[in-house]
Amino acid sequence: MMRYYLVFLFFLFSYLGSLAQSAFGNDLQIDTSRPYALIAGGSKGIGYGISEALAKRGYNLILIARHADTLQTAKTKLETKYKIHVETLAMDLSFDTTATVIAKWCTARNVRLKILCNVAGLGGANDYLSLALDSLRYMVRLNIESCMALSLTLLPLLEKNAPSYILNVASMAGFAPIPVKNMYSATKSAVVFFSYSLRYQLKDKNISVSCLCPGPVYTKPEIVKDTKEKLGWFGNKMAMDPSAVGEIAIKKTFNKRLIIVPGNLAKISSSLIRFLPRRWVVNLYGSAGNKSKKKKSSSEKS
Amino acid sequence: MAWALIAGGSKGMGLSLAEALARRKFDLLLIARNQSELETVRRQLEKNHCIQVEILRADLSMPESASLIHAWCTTNQFDIKIVCYAAGLGGSKDFQNLPLDQIRNMIRVNLDSAVALTYLFIPLLKKSAPAHILYIGSLAGFAPLSVKAVYAASKSALHSFAYSLRQMMKADQISVSCASPGPLFTKDSIEKETIRQLGWIGKQMAVDPERAGEIIVSRMLKGQMMIIPGKLSFIFSWMLRLLPDGLIARISY
Repeated sequence: MMRYYLVFLFFLFSYLGSLAQSAFGNDLQIDTSRPYALIAGGSKGIGYGISEALAKRGYNLILIARHADTLQTAKTKLETKYKIHVETLAMDLSFDTTATVIAKWCTARNVRLKILCNVAGLGGANDYLSLALDSLRYMVRLNIESCMALSLTLLPLLEKNAPSYILNVASMAGFAPIPVKNMYSATKSAVVFFSYSLRYQLKDKNISVSCLCPGPVYTKPEIVKDTKEKLGWFGNKMAMDPSAVGEIAIKKTFNKRLIIVPGNLAKISSSLIRFLPRRWVVNLYGSAGNKSKKKKSSSEKS
Repeated sequence: MAWALIAGGSKGMGLSLAEALARRKFDLLLIARNQSELETVRRQLEKNHCIQVEILRADLSMPESASLIHAWCTTNQFDIKIVCYAAGLGGSKDFQNLPLDQIRNMIRVNLDSAVALTYLFIPLLKKSAPAHILYIGSLAGFAPLSVKAVYAASKSALHSFAYSLRQMMKADQISVSCASPGPLFTKDSIEKETIRQLGWIGKQMAVDPERAGEIIVSRMLKGQMMIIPGKLSFIFSWMLRLLPDGLIARISY
């Protein structure tokens, strides 16, 4: 009786084993012929622009975003167009554990990771005091903490595959405080500072750190409207579309530029913002905000 | 009498602020992690300055602390005129040598809770206007000192936030200030570290914590935005602001 029982167990386990292999085994095999780039927040917006620019250069991609469906559409689009391999991970980058899980996923598969792009970010036209406290916290988690956490947890892999690159996406709002986007510009200023520091901390390891600081990028219709309302003609001239921003960002990341500001007008205004005393810039932004508010209220009245 | 709330008020910079405010006869609400330290400080301040001091134990790296503090203040109906956020974590060589939890903690104490606390207290301050909000930044908030990657990043965010908030709160008669002291020898380890890194200049630049507290409080009450105690620190801060960030990041690692 015991013998039959053992034989049965043997078959059962071997069957389970083969099941497990078919479920996870294929997944563990990863294309090693090409280097990989990991893009946090790569399914939409600037992240997608960056993904496309990297796909054009023959990189395999690992895309991370919250929604599985947008990830899937991005994957099919990129795979059919560029004949590369795209992995997707549907995860919320604001969670404390996410960065560790991603790092484990990559090390288990021994991914040839060459590039890490921290693109995921949250912003809005009005934030402090008009948003709930939880959304402000979410902004800090996503914009600052996930960027630092991913850079730290993926550092061993990047070091192994050196020369490698880290691209953090900040904003022109990171150069000087914008009162209406209070929290957003604070978090982005932290990202700019962090990128500067990281560049020199990782220089010996042959990892180049870059920071993309675009002006307005028309990724969503709300942004188009908001930019035109607040910055008017000038904002519209300065604005760029995400695919152009992605292309410039990747080109300059490979050239090892530290601060990347796409667009000539954005370049000029960003250097002006950085040069002027902060107090002036804040007042300037403040008056622009008030003007648009007044315009709005007068148009509502009429 | 009006109350002043000091987060991180049991030692270091927060304690010097508490003393300076006590001299001006503000009643104090002190918040810190360590209950016994809070109690000794309370006894000391009440004895020396004839003011009322209330204490609350809270860990500002926890997200719920801000609402806890707010609930405590509203149930006791303190008439708060001043909110000082002096809690902060720091250290040097901080990115690669730190575990992830400590990096998160640093951001949560230095930025998250500062933002959350003022968010909850602004309605109260509006009622008791004119009022003051004070953040403690750092010289590292002016330029990316690459030895302190996370610390400098969190402080620069705090600076940026303070500038914006000041503009937002102008109409409500709430004055927002940000103090950015250079090295303060509040702990022996800081003294050693500063002298090792900056040498003679560091020693000259350091301001006595008590004097720094006095300067910061007097200028905050005058409504100054950026407060930098000590002449040498002030000059140094302008150097940090004017020199290109890349240069500073390069030489500071």
